[in-house]
Amino acid sequence: MIYRLENVRQVYAGKTVLDVPYLEIERCAILGLVGRNGSGKSTLLRLLSFLETPAEGQVFFESKPAAPEAQRLRRQVTLLCQEPYLLKRTVFANVCYGLKLRGEASRPEAAGRVAAALRMVGLDPVAFGPRPWHALSGGEAQRVALAARLVLEPKVLLLDEPTASLDEEGCEAAARGALAARDQWKTTLVVVSHDKEWLAPLCDRTLTLAQGKLRG
Amino acid sequence: MNYIWEGLLQAVGLLLSLDPETCAAVWATVVTSTLAICASVLLGAPLGFCLGYCRFPGRKQVRLLMDTLLSFPTVVIGLLVYTLLSRRGPLGDLGLLYTLPAVAIGQTILGLPVVVTLVATAVETADRGLHITLRTLGATSGQALVATLWETRFSLALAAAAAYGRIVSEVGVAMIVGGNIKWHTRTITTAITLETGKGQFATGIALGVVLMLVAFGVNLLVASLRRRSGP
Repeated sequence: MIYRLENVRQVYAGKTVLDVPYLEIERCAILGLVGRNGSGKSTLLRLLSFLETPAEGQVFFESKPAAPEAQRLRRQVTLLCQEPYLLKRTVFANVCYGLKLRGEASRPEAAGRVAAALRMVGLDPVAFGPRPWHALSGGEAQRVALAARLVLEPKVLLLDEPTASLDEEGCEAAARGALAARDQWKTTLVVVSHDKEWLAPLCDRTLTLAQGKLRG
Repeated sequence: MNYIWEGLLQAVGLLLSLDPETCAAVWATVVTSTLAICASVLLGAPLGFCLGYCRFPGRKQVRLLMDTLLSFPTVVIGLLVYTLLSRRGPLGDLGLLYTLPAVAIGQTILGLPVVVTLVATAVETADRGLHITLRTLGATSGQALVATLWETRFSLALAAAAAYGRIVSEVGVAMIVGGNIKWHTRTITTAITLETGKGQFATGIALGVVLMLVAFGVNLLVASLRRRSGP
């Protein structure tokens, strides 16, 4: 078990936006989350990525309370937001940035890892590597942002609407990349998407969120 | 009108012949403004980042103070620094009064609020996605600071250019704290004030031309940075 949530409640401006009495997520699983806008999907992802701490209850990561270790755990868990932000650098520097934060960018294998991550999302590293951030389409930017997470070989990859600005080919590439992460590094995936057709074959289990509550 | 043309012609002559007195004033301006802008950016960039990024009690009050300091009259800053550095003042033992470093200190106080407020605004208005991206990629607070400053580098350069414009064109601090001493602390602006008072328009115009060239150069830099900041 990689995550366990117990009596987790998140409150914004006095309003409960998420109420999860109990949830377990297995290691290496691919969990899909569906639900209407405002149902609490993104809030749950922010809690799972340790960007926020719950107003009540506890999140356990690998059987230990996550809150005291949030900074360290953010190196093992990474979130791709719906509208990803690319740094004002080249594609290569964007993908390499997480490695740089970990002091791994100067290692000889770093360039190879960046190239492999770009290939995982269907982008040619030679053509795209030197491109500046502003010379990418919305879909290409989304794929670069996904590559920037894949290069970290994370224990958990949280994807918030990863196909929002992708065409059919991009969606397939994103799915291939996500599956490759699971196969190669045993990465656990939690994927939020409105695209049920894309999500269903990808996931081992799909949960529905409605008004902040989980429905199996 | 004749005296203006004569003044202009003489000014060109002074500049072309590298008149020592004119060059001394230009040099004093270069030294003080360079020291001041370096100190303003080195102190102001982290302070501006904290003001724009961190949430702490009294933040709004600090912001208000910085905004107020933006329009602080230069002579008041000159007076403040004078009282600190004069023999009877708390820093009188340093013997800095009527020296170029003293002028630079005053000009730093002048430039600092410009850098702090512009950097704070740039950090505040930086895409919220930047902050989340840095955290989800595993950045520590220190790494987030460096990355945010780098991401807002064009805004930071604009802030530095704006601060430099204020520093290089001020006269109050240089006059009060520097004392306008010929060959030592006479800057372009204090020299223009003095020469105009004496009716010596040529030197004033020559120095004015240099000052305008500096302003033009700074504006050119700002325009170039705006273009480079891109979409």
